[in-house]
Amino acid sequence: MRPSFFHHLHPPTIPAAQSRLRYTLGAGGLSVFFSLVLIVSGVLLMYYYTPTPQEAPLSIQTLTFLVPFGWLVRNLHYWAAQLLVLVVVIHLMRVVFTGACAPPRRFNYLLGLALLVICVLLDFTGYVLRWDTGIQWALVVGTNLVKTIPVVGGGLYAFLVGGSQPGAATLIRFYTWHIFGLTLILLIIGGWHLFRVRRDGGIAVPPPELRPGNNRITRFELVRREVLAMLLASAGLVLLSITLPAPLAPPIQEGSALVAGARAPWFFLWVQELLKLGDPFLWGVLIPLVMTMVFVLMPYLLPNARPVELGRWFPPGNRLAQVISAIIVIFILIMTTLALL
Amino acid sequence: MKLSTAIASAVLFLAALATVFWQYRQPAPVALTPTLTGQVEYCLTCHADLPEISPAHPVETFGCVRCHGGERLALEADLAHSTMRGGRNPSDLAVVEASCGGSDCHSGSLAEERDHIQRVRTGIQATYAGAIAQIRYTFGAQPDAIARYGIYAIEAYQMTTPRAVPYLDAFDPAQESSQPVKAFGEQCLVCHLSVDALPGAPNARLTGCAACHTPTANTDLEKPVHQLTTAMPYTQCNTCHNRGNYDLRAMHFVPRNDQPADRLHDYYQPIAQFVRCEWTLDCVDCHTRHEAMGDGNLYSSKKDIQYVRCYTCHGTLDKLPLTRTISDPNDLALRMAFLTPVIDLKVGDTVIVTEKGETLWNTRQLQDGTYELFGKATGQRLTFRPVKGSACQQKPDQQESRYCHECHAVQR
Repeated sequence: MRPSFFHHLHPPTIPAAQSRLRYTLGAGGLSVFFSLVLIVSGVLLMYYYTPTPQEAPLSIQTLTFLVPFGWLVRNLHYWAAQLLVLVVVIHLMRVVFTGACAPPRRFNYLLGLALLVICVLLDFTGYVLRWDTGIQWALVVGTNLVKTIPVVGGGLYAFLVGGSQPGAATLIRFYTWHIFGLTLILLIIGGWHLFRVRRDGGIAVPPPELRPGNNRITRFELVRREVLAMLLASAGLVLLSITLPAPLAPPIQEGSALVAGARAPWFFLWVQELLKLGDPFLWGVLIPLVMTMVFVLMPYLLPNARPVELGRWFPPGNRLAQVISAIIVIFILIMTTLALL
Repeated sequence: MKLSTAIASAVLFLAALATVFWQYRQPAPVALTPTLTGQVEYCLTCHADLPEISPAHPVETFGCVRCHGGERLALEADLAHSTMRGGRNPSDLAVVEASCGGSDCHSGSLAEERDHIQRVRTGIQATYAGAIAQIRYTFGAQPDAIARYGIYAIEAYQMTTPRAVPYLDAFDPAQESSQPVKAFGEQCLVCHLSVDALPGAPNARLTGCAACHTPTANTDLEKPVHQLTTAMPYTQCNTCHNRGNYDLRAMHFVPRNDQPADRLHDYYQPIAQFVRCEWTLDCVDCHTRHEAMGDGNLYSSKKDIQYVRCYTCHGTLDKLPLTRTISDPNDLALRMAFLTPVIDLKVGDTVIVTEKGETLWNTRQLQDGTYELFGKATGQRLTFRPVKGSACQQKPDQQESRYCHECHAVQR
């Protein structure tokens, strides 16, 4: 059989320890699955969505209420996107808390971090495409944050928004970023990330000579487990889509004020809460950037887990990195909770 | 296939079945594309059982959204209703321009008599300027009874009489130094077109245009009435009028606590006198569009706008009532008679007109020199004679109704 990318990802056999659910949490695989769901449902949405300020909310209403199963496609896209951000974060935590970001997987860890940032940007640009009163506040605040960046802020704002305030140019730019620019980057880096998983020796486990047992599973067993996870995730997605519809709000009226009590999307609630503390550049741009940089530099500057410690949770070797990560995650969770209260 | 995979497949299959069930559980969308807007709307999916609001507003022409606003494509109640104007009543004066306005609708030109909104907004039932001026004058807050304040600030739409004022400021009770005026502002502004009705079925009315044109009197306001009419029964007028008295010492409104049943004997103030037409007809059978809705001037008193008298229809000893023969097939009188088809008015008919030129389109001069009048709400036909040529001994300068009542009032 000719070697293919699929066979690269699914070698004839792999160590059983590499596909234990309570070690991997299935987060990486689910990320791939949700991305595929997003691409398929996103393409379907593109047939109905009209990216102009007047038509965007109306085309979404048409899709949601009048197109048979349109609501299902939209809700699947919405829930797959929210769950993607969630499982990507869980994936990152798994990698840090099992010390898997140690060399040789250090570079792939960076690719993964980039993918997280891209997922959040995709989620935000997709959220803005609703272009209704529900997204107005977050769009204005989010783009104004860009303006606060010294030196390049004004230029970056003009590049993203295409005018002195959000309008038709902003919508078409966000649309293009969403369906083309960011998606293309996601596909390239995502493919690279998957390729590197096997290149770096698969999921992090100790080298063969240090492993307690040497059980292996076949490619078929691996695919079966993946299919099982996909079936369950699909059922979960469908049930979520039936019971909790994706949010919709009234269209933006000419000259109407921002809706009082508006909120950022859930994944930016912590930034919204930080902004209450004062200087928007410091709290809204610099602090989130510093947090990202902490994750980027972690495997380069802090002690890493030793090979023998791999394949289990909370190895002592990179304890400092684990503690710092936990602090950042708990901080974000607290800020999110405060914003929700 | 292992058991776990089989179970997961079954779960997914059931979930897929559920989506099919969900899809076909929804009511099939009912589309309507009104000719006026040309934009499809789906309101009738849920609201198919609503009666048409009036023959002048057929649903195929107007649809729902042109007047009510709302999300025409949404089939989820909260979203669909979220952008409706004025909640259940798009004719509230705060939103009436967007709902009922437009040059071809009700904020058009004076020449075409399509300026209802401009006139109503300056009318005394909306500004309440008369009562405010009277109370401020009575309690020394202003040196005369000329209106200075209204419920809202507004400029005159017309200035055709020296009695009118050019503008009104918004009346703010908090700014008043006189305690009674303050109390009046807080407790007595209960009967103008922008305020909700007093509790009780006899007071039941909406705000704005619908206060008069939607017959809600003696209904439960919780159950909306989807109707507009130009044939208002007197009970609708009485949702504001004849509802009680103001107590000027305590400065609050004292609603009547009886349940009037017989119109002649217990509906109106005991001291008032009436001739037969005053209690058998409805208010709108005699009182005109300009009297009720205003003529665009900002007046200081009801007396400045209310001008129809006994002589409008009956004339005086030496003059017959003013009349006009309809010659134009597009005459407003024919339009009005078409909307409220109690009279088969046609080109060539002679109708009574007021001294300001308003047509009493529900009247007609007959061959024998008498006149007929049709009740707009009741359809009843009355015939009547002019004063000229009768045995009436009125003095020419005594034309107010109280002089007519001396001989013609009925026993109460």
